[in-house]
Amino acid sequence: METLKIYLLLALTSVRARMEYKGTFFVFLFAIVFFYFAQLGVLIVVIARFKEIHGWTMGEMAFLYGLLTFSQGFTTLFFNALINFDQLLIKGEFDRALVRPLSPLGQVVFSRFEASTIAHFVIGAAALYYGAKLSGIVWTPQKALFLPLVIIGGVLIQGAVRMFVTAVAFWTLRNSSLVHTVVFSSKEFIVYPVSIYRWGVQFFLTFLFPVAFINFYPAQYFLQKSGENLFHPALQVLTPAVGLVLFALSLLAWKTGINHYQSAGS
Amino acid sequence: MGTIEYAIEAHHLKKQFTVSESGKGLWGSVKALFSAKTRIVDAVNGVSFAIRPGEFVGYVGENGAGKSTTIKMLTGILVPSSGTARVNGVVPYEDRKKNGMNIGVVFGQRTQLWWDLPVRETYEMLRVIYRVPKNGFDETMKKLSAALDLGPLMEMPVRKLSLGQRMRCDIAASLVHRPGVLFLDEPTIGLDVLAKENIRTFLKDLNKTDGTTIILTTHDMNDIEQLCRRLIILDKGIVIYDGATEDLKQRFVHDKLIEVEFHEPPDGLALVPELLVVRESGTKKWLKFQNGNSGIAAAIGKLASMYPVKDLSVREPSVESIIRAIYEKTVLLPEHKDAP
Repeated sequence: METLKIYLLLALTSVRARMEYKGTFFVFLFAIVFFYFAQLGVLIVVIARFKEIHGWTMGEMAFLYGLLTFSQGFTTLFFNALINFDQLLIKGEFDRALVRPLSPLGQVVFSRFEASTIAHFVIGAAALYYGAKLSGIVWTPQKALFLPLVIIGGVLIQGAVRMFVTAVAFWTLRNSSLVHTVVFSSKEFIVYPVSIYRWGVQFFLTFLFPVAFINFYPAQYFLQKSGENLFHPALQVLTPAVGLVLFALSLLAWKTGINHYQSAGS
Repeated sequence: MGTIEYAIEAHHLKKQFTVSESGKGLWGSVKALFSAKTRIVDAVNGVSFAIRPGEFVGYVGENGAGKSTTIKMLTGILVPSSGTARVNGVVPYEDRKKNGMNIGVVFGQRTQLWWDLPVRETYEMLRVIYRVPKNGFDETMKKLSAALDLGPLMEMPVRKLSLGQRMRCDIAASLVHRPGVLFLDEPTIGLDVLAKENIRTFLKDLNKTDGTTIILTTHDMNDIEQLCRRLIILDKGIVIYDGATEDLKQRFVHDKLIEVEFHEPPDGLALVPELLVVRESGTKKWLKFQNGNSGIAAAIGKLASMYPVKDLSVREPSVESIIRAIYEKTVLLPEHKDAP
């Protein structure tokens, strides 16, 4: 409990420190909103033109997009500091986190808390709401309870992906290109239902780089799209479990990485 | 604490770094990506020492001798390749959180203050991070603020501090939780004479009144002469001297240099047999005392009675000149026995 309070203070301080540069903060916020509205806009235009993509209607696609963007909001909120983590290593600033009586990962994460991610929540929530409404999801107690679990699972999966690629920096020092490829480009795949891809890509996004669990499989469950089971229907409810396992593994990778840390210069 | 015999223990500490050999230019770096050509560098190659609570130890060596690497292992930043370290009985790189509570660390090259916040808020953050009770904290801060003259800096954002001001604030930041052991990695680097002097006075007092164990790396031998009763010299990852700073000076005391100015230049070079002329210029001669049967005072007396001496001064070798001589291998130290 005490520890939680310390992290909360770290987070608040980082937000305040960033607010020192108010201009940057608002420009950044504006950039995020603009980017996601643009992305959503393209999606809507595409669907409006073709009516549906591989059997997914406008509402269903919006729901798929909402799951991704909403969980991405939490991911950005908590794990954004990891994106530029190699800079902390290169400048040797990570040393500081290792000599303090707090978890080094916790310090990194909460020392660059990203408040401007609020844009993700707004867009994600809107997409979820209209998606559910348009596609006429029948809400049962199970589904209502499962939704937050899916969001948490999605956050854990995305967080784990970021942790894995940042842990690589303990060995290679520089990893920004890897981070940008893996974290940002990979997301573009799952804006669309995974079922539109060839078998190889489906397999990759399910078992090797399981980002399909962030939105595609749980969306099938919520939308009861039984017509197109990929691999096995049980995958539709596995998101929280996949999230937990991946996150645990990524923590392990980080712990191993820290002990390989070589620090910088003198 | 209390019953712990040693505040800091290093036992056969080794640290190897793997350095990849990259060739010249773009093609070189591309090739380095795919070839497994790596070189192993022994940054620290079997270092042992033990420091008792309350000691003030200077840890010196040339650039690349392994000073910072040792400090990083002792503070839990790096995991040794082999050997063990203990600080206050805790293995620092295995139990970082517990170790963090016991130690204070200052890196002269980087700050641990929050760049965009006023200084006061950094201390408030550290109070929370180290779980220092409010009343104890207020008392500590009052003392630190008075001793390091932090009053006028408290409301300034860290990014606006000068190097000297920042260093004072950084030292205070490392002491908010009153650690028993303080690691200082080049705390006086880049500071002017006055700022250095202020920091030395503060550290001396901290060591004396609070009994804080301090280990200090520096390139400034004045730091060592004024602060450290004990000196550990490192060369190429190995300890080559570990003993009292005073002993090191004693060992080279026969290197005392005597500068004599005569009313008129004496003819004949020999003068007094115990004093060897090393240089002369006009009416001045520089003499080196050679161990004779009588002491240096007797030799000077003899000289003054035989020749018209106008002025005379005796210069002791500085720790700096001794250590430079050691680095340059113009003097050799007896084989160093490993500490416990």
